[in-house]
Amino acid sequence: MIKTRDLSVLYGSQKIDFPDLLLSEGDQILITGNSGSGKTSFLSLIGGLVTPNTGFVEINGQNISLLSSSKADKFRGNQLGFVFQTPHFVKSLDVQDNLLLNQYLVKKYDYDHLDNLLKKVDLLNKKKSLVNQLSEGEKQRISIVRALINKPKIVLADEPTSALDDQSCDNIVTLLKDLSEQNDAILIIVTHDKRLKDKFKNHIELDAS
Amino acid sequence: MLLKLGWKNIVKRPLSSGLSVVLLSCSIMIIVLASLTMQQLQNKFDENANKIDLVVGAKGSRLQMVLCNVFHIDNPTGNIKFNDVEFLSKHPFVKSAIPISLGDSYKSYRIVGTELSYINDLYNASLNKGRLFDNTLEVVAGAGVANQLDLKIGDRFYGSHGIEESIHDHDNFEYELVGILNSSGEIIDNLLLTSLESVWDVHPEDHQKGSFDLREEHEDHHHHHHEHSKEEFRNDKEITAILINYNSPRAKFSIPGLVNKKQQMMAAEPAIEIQQLLELVQPAIKVVTVLAWFIFGLAFISMVITMINSMKDRKYEIAMMRVAGASYKMVLIATLIEGFMIALIGSLLGVLFGHSLMELMGGYLTLSYHYQFTGLIYHPFEFWLIFGTLITGMVSALFPAISAYKMDISITLKDKI
Repeated sequence: MIKTRDLSVLYGSQKIDFPDLLLSEGDQILITGNSGSGKTSFLSLIGGLVTPNTGFVEINGQNISLLSSSKADKFRGNQLGFVFQTPHFVKSLDVQDNLLLNQYLVKKYDYDHLDNLLKKVDLLNKKKSLVNQLSEGEKQRISIVRALINKPKIVLADEPTSALDDQSCDNIVTLLKDLSEQNDAILIIVTHDKRLKDKFKNHIELDAS
Repeated sequence: MLLKLGWKNIVKRPLSSGLSVVLLSCSIMIIVLASLTMQQLQNKFDENANKIDLVVGAKGSRLQMVLCNVFHIDNPTGNIKFNDVEFLSKHPFVKSAIPISLGDSYKSYRIVGTELSYINDLYNASLNKGRLFDNTLEVVAGAGVANQLDLKIGDRFYGSHGIEESIHDHDNFEYELVGILNSSGEIIDNLLLTSLESVWDVHPEDHQKGSFDLREEHEDHHHHHHEHSKEEFRNDKEITAILINYNSPRAKFSIPGLVNKKQQMMAAEPAIEIQQLLELVQPAIKVVTVLAWFIFGLAFISMVITMINSMKDRKYEIAMMRVAGASYKMVLIATLIEGFMIALIGSLLGVLFGHSLMELMGGYLTLSYHYQFTGLIYHPFEFWLIFGTLITGMVSALFPAISAYKMDISITLKDKI
């Protein structure tokens, strides 16, 4: 469960307020808005990467701004999965090691889960490839696997489809939705990509005001 | 996992990590080489210099006399009459006085005329095969000579006049090898030993000269032999030097004075001469060492630059790791591990190369110094060298590690290329 209340950040001298959210297990929500409306900041607040100016974020009853830095790291690794517009990986490691690195960071190894997810994104054969040898679409699929590798409660995706063509876009959104659902994870996508609008029932539009 | 990450980060950037490793290992190799050479030189010189308290020989350069008669490197300063130094062996402060007589060599290995106490007491050498020399023209070989020249008991050979490669052979006097000594790692390993009488037999005419130059031709070699009566011959037999050991600390203050008062003779203490020699060599070694540290500094700078560059490349990777739950500390450790690994590879390779090169060059040094040099010895200094390098490696990783540590993830991820 995610609860946000009275969240705001200061962007220079400008204060940006965010709507309150209340999401429970399995919910999927699309947050759209023009650039400068604070979409990424909102996601960073929910993910605990940024400390709010006012208000709080509660995930499963835990106010995440109250966690110590090392506990926050651990919490993030265990409970949250991130997908970004440009998927970055450790270039010197192959696909499998990149995924194992994430498992290592929370000290939970689950090879079956890893293979299972790779199978679902149809990239099991690329397990031993270096990440740089993959296409953009493949990289994004791997980054979805990475977001789900530690069975998080929440998946946060920031512009996951903006760099992709229509077919890959469809493919990625379907994967994000299906895999989040299968893992009982809340899915939050922020984007300005209009192609996604009719694919989600829940939709919030942020105002740049 | 962090080890693997560090390792892969090094291996996947072979050029930049390679440069650091090469610079590092080169500097360490030179440092190791310089310290091994200096250490062995010093050890062997000290060890041998301390075996003998005083060398008494013909007037000339003290250092030359010591190098010639103790280390068998330089040429003799000349000859002295045995009669003139006999009083030394009877002096109450003298424990032992061993005469040696030089002049010939066989395939550039010196034939040293001396007494059995040179083998038994001075060097405590034991026989490996055969027996010690008894009659004239019988020779005992050090282990090194026997090995290098592949000598066997019963081998016969002619000595060449002089210490370097043959000037001319003494065709009339055939030496016979009767014994081979065990290896002791000392100078005696590279000598051929015979009785004083053998040398006197081969060089009868030398007694009429105050000194002789070993490189000089001796055309009229054997012609005078029969002209000397046996009696005469014994009376003014000559030796190159006499090696003295004291049995009283007071000897140090009295004996050299006694000798130096005599004309045509002088005394030199090996320990002092060698100390002076090493002081002469040391600045040269120091220059090499400074050079090595300079390269070490370059390696350090190269490592820092390499690490900073690789951190710039990997800004997003690190941000990703932080997002996925890596703590500040973990990022710091991962970076330090990388520096540590480069330093470890560099220093191990450096030490390995240093020792291998020393072992290779050992043969060459053995030829010129007449005792064994090896790369197979270990010096506690090397432990500190490796340790220091590892610390340096981590320090060089510290700058980029701290910048990675301080990185703000959300800002890094906001500027999506």
